[in-house]
Amino acid sequence: MTSPVLRAEGLTKRYGQRVALSDCTLSVPPGRVVGLVGPNGAGKTTLLQLAVGMLSPTAGTIEVVGGRPASGAAQLAKVGFVAQDTPTYANLSIADHLRLGARTNPRWDQRTAEERIAQLGLDPGQKTGRLSGGQRAQIALTMAIAKRPELLILDEPVAALDPMARREFMVSLAAYTAEHRTSVIFSSHVVSDLERVCDYVIVLVASRVRIAGGVDELTAGHQRLTGTRRTAADLPAGLQVVEESHTSRQSTFVVRGGVPVEDPTLTAEPVDLEALVLAYMSQAVTSPRPEWEATR
Amino acid sequence: MIWFTWRQFRTSALIAVAVLAAFGILLLLTAGTITDLYAEVAACSSDCDAVTENFLIQVRDSAAGTVYHLALAVLYVAPALIGVFWGAPLIARELEAGTHRLAWNQSVTRTRWLAAKLALVGAASAAAAGLLSVIVTIWAERIDSAAGDRITPLVYGARGIAPVGYAVFAFVLGVTCGMLVRRTMPAMAATLAGYIAAVASMPLWIRTHLAPARHETPALDLDSLAMMGIRQDGSVDVRGGDVANAWTVSNQTITPGGEVFHGPVDPNFCGPGGGGPERCHAWLGTLGLRQEVVYHPDSQFWTLQWIETGIFLALAALLAGFCFWWIRRLA
Repeated sequence: MTSPVLRAEGLTKRYGQRVALSDCTLSVPPGRVVGLVGPNGAGKTTLLQLAVGMLSPTAGTIEVVGGRPASGAAQLAKVGFVAQDTPTYANLSIADHLRLGARTNPRWDQRTAEERIAQLGLDPGQKTGRLSGGQRAQIALTMAIAKRPELLILDEPVAALDPMARREFMVSLAAYTAEHRTSVIFSSHVVSDLERVCDYVIVLVASRVRIAGGVDELTAGHQRLTGTRRTAADLPAGLQVVEESHTSRQSTFVVRGGVPVEDPTLTAEPVDLEALVLAYMSQAVTSPRPEWEATR
Repeated sequence: MIWFTWRQFRTSALIAVAVLAAFGILLLLTAGTITDLYAEVAACSSDCDAVTENFLIQVRDSAAGTVYHLALAVLYVAPALIGVFWGAPLIARELEAGTHRLAWNQSVTRTRWLAAKLALVGAASAAAAGLLSVIVTIWAERIDSAAGDRITPLVYGARGIAPVGYAVFAFVLGVTCGMLVRRTMPAMAATLAGYIAAVASMPLWIRTHLAPARHETPALDLDSLAMMGIRQDGSVDVRGGDVANAWTVSNQTITPGGEVFHGPVDPNFCGPGGGGPERCHAWLGTLGLRQEVVYHPDSQFWTLQWIETGIFLALAALLAGFCFWWIRRLA
């Protein structure tokens, strides 16, 4: 099984004049836990909603586990989705939700669903309107997992949760991914969420994909160079500067290109995932803005 | 999906059943009164106008009279309630709460999800309105035949199968508004406005064209005038008696030349110095006036009912088709 779980080519979504996602080309290998990161409003939700077929693209194509998103019942069965704010039917019980899952999904795993509810210490007869945000998120995750999808997509599942519920959710997600070989894509604007569970990262900033790749490849392919003050042009050739910062005597660069640097005036260090992602995110913020925006 | 739709709709359905049952009991309790009062009319063999009139007055003064008017109101209000409380929130509430994102990511396409909702709640709407109309139509049968007015606009929409058409239309209108507006309260208001406009426009402009109206110009019968009024300047409005057991669309008095008659009257016969209505009638009788009436006789009742119900069901089908197209564009 080597065909990508998500393949996008020139994928673009516009709302009138506003561009939510711009010319996105991606190929995500199967069996990965993919973190989709970026600041609020970067287009993460748009990309995920395109992947589950809640939205249709303005231009370009997207293929998920080999099919067009939401193109039919069979395609829907392959993809599990936990929407932002994890909506549930407030006046229906947990058991009703599980029955909805059982009656609409061909591969539904009722035993897993019931076990998870029991583990969470929840009463199946309880209406979900009376649950906390964290518990509702767990119900939504349970429904998506019990569907036994080939790809599980979660859109900011923990954004609205307090730190405790957030941690519990991430732990149960990690437990699930460790146990099953399902591919997972989840979005977050909190970079520290990633390191615990992800082995693949997509950084999305201002409607564009900045970088995408496996965590190991990315960390191996970047380094931090520190040395006496200099400009980026003075660095050895073949390095692409992601981020630079300068003090009066010292310069620090995060560069792409894992080749050893033979300049004795520079010290090379590895970059961890969080620093790397932040470097890409800040690059977008400091990069020159379009003129119309500057003259406002 | 049908199961889940039923699970969501169950409480509303039970409320509707309870209300229907309560209303049914009210009809049962008063049905005996009508039967008792009608005995005289049933026994009457000739010259029954006075007996019939008496029956109607007695019914009006009894509890059955109150229930009669309540039933009229209920049959016009029920489709509105169905549209506002079953139709408008059906999709709008899901869009508002975001639960459509949960529902649409089970292994059921949006189209099937919508089809289940429209089919189940639509069928319930038709059944509720149909049942309501059947019990009222049977209950009021004797009053309607005595009054000869079931084809007149107000009663017409509260009898037969028309309420089914209104209810199904109101329901799908509500669903459509909810999908377009995406918020429950404004969708409810839009549904109510749309329902009132559609149902009111039928008797006002459309219904009379659904079956050929009778057009007659008999000599004006001065003994059965519905109304006559003389103004200061001598102009006059004369309206001949309406056709019995029919819906009168227009009723004018015309001269032998074919123009609408408005006088002026001869002050020697009519008006303050004319010497009484008899002299005035006698004078009017010399003018050769005719009555021009356009009306739908009671015999057209079912023809009109089928066509009108068909129109509302066709409108509902069009709206439903639009919903199936639009749901693919929703996010």
